Amino acid sequence: MSSPILRVESLVKRFGGLLALGGVDLAVEAGEFRAIIGPNGAGKSTFFNALTGLLRPDSGRVTFEGRDITGEPPHRVARRGVARTFQITSVFPDLNALENVRIALLAHARRSWSLWPRAGALGVERAHELLALVGLAASAAKPAGTLAHGDQKRLELAIALAGEPRLLLLDEPTAGMAAQERLEAIRLVHRIARELGLSCVFTEHDMAVVFAVATRITVMHQGRVLAEGTPAEVRARPEVQQVYLGEAA
Amino acid sequence: MLELIAQHFAWAQNPVVLARQTLAGVSNGMLLFLISAGLSLIFGVLRILNFAHGALFMLGALIAVSVAALLPDPLAGFAAALVGAAAGLGLLGAAIETKLLRRIYRAPHEMQLLLTFALVFILGDAAKLIWGREEHFVAMPALLAGGAQAFGLVFPLYRLFLIAAGAAVAAGLWVMLYRTRWGIFIRAATMDREMLAALGVDTRALFTTVFTLGAALAGLGGALAAPVVAVGPGLHVQVLIDAFAVVVIGGLGSVLGAFVASLLVGLVNAFGVLAFPGLAVVLTFGCMAIVLIVRPRGLLGTAE
Amino acid sequence: MKSRHAAPLVAAAALLALPFGLTEFWIFIAVEVLAFALYAVSFNVLLGYGGMLSFGHAAFFGVGGYTAALVVKQSGLPPVLAVACLPLAAMFVSAAAALVIGFFSVRRAGIYFAMLTFAFQMLLYTIALKATPLTGGDDGLTGLKPPGPLAQPLAYYYFALAMTAAGLHVLHRVVSSPFGYTLRAIRANALRVQYLGINVRAHRLAAFVVSGAFAGLAGAIFALSNGNVFPEWLNWTASATPVVMAVLGGTASFLGPALGAAVYVVLEVLISGRTEYWPLAMGIIIVIIVLLMPEGLTGLWRTGIVRRGARAAPLPTREAR
Repeated sequence: MSSPILRVESLVKRFGGLLALGGVDLAVEAGEFRAIIGPNGAGKSTFFNALTGLLRPDSGRVTFEGRDITGEPPHRVARRGVARTFQITSVFPDLNALENVRIALLAHARRSWSLWPRAGALGVERAHELLALVGLAASAAKPAGTLAHGDQKRLELAIALAGEPRLLLLDEPTAGMAAQERLEAIRLVHRIARELGLSCVFTEHDMAVVFAVATRITVMHQGRVLAEGTPAEVRARPEVQQVYLGEAA
Repeated sequence: MLELIAQHFAWAQNPVVLARQTLAGVSNGMLLFLISAGLSLIFGVLRILNFAHGALFMLGALIAVSVAALLPDPLAGFAAALVGAAAGLGLLGAAIETKLLRRIYRAPHEMQLLLTFALVFILGDAAKLIWGREEHFVAMPALLAGGAQAFGLVFPLYRLFLIAAGAAVAAGLWVMLYRTRWGIFIRAATMDREMLAALGVDTRALFTTVFTLGAALAGLGGALAAPVVAVGPGLHVQVLIDAFAVVVIGGLGSVLGAFVASLLVGLVNAFGVLAFPGLAVVLTFGCMAIVLIVRPRGLLGTAE
Repeated sequence: MKSRHAAPLVAAAALLALPFGLTEFWIFIAVEVLAFALYAVSFNVLLGYGGMLSFGHAAFFGVGGYTAALVVKQSGLPPVLAVACLPLAAMFVSAAAALVIGFFSVRRAGIYFAMLTFAFQMLLYTIALKATPLTGGDDGLTGLKPPGPLAQPLAYYYFALAMTAAGLHVLHRVVSSPFGYTLRAIRANALRVQYLGINVRAHRLAAFVVSGAFAGLAGAIFALSNGNVFPEWLNWTASATPVVMAVLGGTASFLGPALGAAVYVVLEVLISGRTEYWPLAMGIIIVIIVLLMPEGLTGLWRTGIVRRGARAAPLPTREAR
């Protein structure tokens, strides 16, 4: 039993009187495709924010590849090999798609501190590769802000991959897409993750998407883990059905 | 070392000095409050840092000078000056907001900054053009000159008047903010602007009202300050510095914060001048910087 | 290829030949233009590229000016050494000030960042006013002359031209470098950049220091030509100047602010010559810019002419020249 790539122990986060995360435990094995589901307000985005250092947890521990990364700022967490996408697409709207990925590559290559050499053609080739990988080869020259919603999500993925992460955290990767698009999108992510040997944790509302690709599911409710297991196991649990699956998907 | 401290604070043992400086500090604080309340409200609601607010204060003082000169009776002149300054600046504020500021609410911050700076330059020179470059003086009405006796000490009446006036304005503002519909809108706008529009509030009218009110307060402050302050060119530059410090320390958008911080800054200045004569002014910026570094929202501001 | 080089060559030739057509007064003004061009471009590294609006940039211009004045008046160095030391000293001291001020200021964003730079500038203003033995207090430092052979206006012009050109070249390299791209990305989406593994605060601080250093150089160049330095250079109203120049020229291009500086200085000379109400005129000009031409002069130029062919520049909204 190999040690998990990501282990979260008793993660707690309060906002004033509100207990957003009430002691979350999670262990993700390498190569997993883990889905986190739960109603709105269950704390999924807060969880990602606390994992990646955007929020400082009040208590608890986060271990990535055996290293304690609790409370480390986002840029440190990213350097460790954790990449994240955002629920509300977060790209560089005025730059074209190629430039978006190039920035990420420059950052990953630690060139952001090069003050003298010209940026010139650094990373252009690799950026094209990544765009092709996510299916955006044709849109390389388009300003990111003008891309269709689904394409922006793909771009986010390419940006995330530029950092050569070993763990992908995807916050609602299919938000805002039509049903058919969603399955395509998640299957793309799944395929890429398998090809590159990445572990992946993603939050999702659409059950069809979840059951299509997830290897394990964690159910969150009111800041705590309600249930966890394989899709079949989770589907069968009555408390899960009551809280979440009972509601209209 | 202890001797050094003792040297700087030797005056603390003298009750006359203590009383005098406290009075000066509190009354100056009230004047500061009149400027900063408006500045803070304008930022809270309009999200614009009005660099020209010092100029509005100065114009209030200058209008008071002119109005007081028109009426032979000093008391009537003084009263008219207060009314004239407040009303005049209110009108000017309304004009500025509707004609200029309204066009840049959605502009990038450097544009907003530039526009208020432009007002500083324009109003500053306009004041020079109209009132000249000398310093102006307004005599206090006899009723308010002189001193009141208490506890064996003499307190300048005008300073007591300033404190009373400031307290009255503060009370009035409190009533407006907490007991009227506009007040609710203003407080809500300070916290969440977008929601206001969604609730169907006429934000345009609200913005104009707030800016007008802020300008009127500044004008009133200038008029009240005129008898005790040297009213000359450069006043608008000088006065803004303390006002900024106050709104930062009190919390951008909070009138109560501005009140507390005004008194604080007023007292710190009054006593700082005694303890560290040359460097009292450093205390103000030092406090401002420390607040921004440690707790940017100030004493009573809302967290961003 | 040739047409791309023609314009800069013509400009260089014009700048080199310029003093021969000018009276001494206008050579003096030309030096002022050069210094302020460097000042404005350095400010725009923060604003246009980094997205950081500083209310306290005049602090570094002033610090540079005072440093140059002190080197010339108090260092007792032989002229040649003084000339060599001047730019370095001014840049070093300004950079050090920027490092301290920036360290505290970049911890906050937006309005709080701006207010911090304002507060620190006012602290420096107070020091300039009060530290009379060092700074001459209220009177400032006067009677400054460039050391040795540079005291000749013509010679000083070429010195200023060389310093400004070198400064602009370095700044251009910086904004075209991977660091520069990172800065632009930070401006576009600082949150995302953090998740790329970049310490945004450290990069902002670096930009602040670079920008402050060259503002200091500009202040030094101007101080020696102007003959004196005053505490008013550090008062908060002075911080409007770099903003006006940058916006007037256009913040979307590297040299836009330099153009803005040239126009600003010339306007100031012409208007101050006729009236003492230059601030009033400046205020009106600012209002016109803000309401009618926020993209600045280079913005007007860009939208006014037909685009010639596809842009090779990779970043669509900036001239990557």
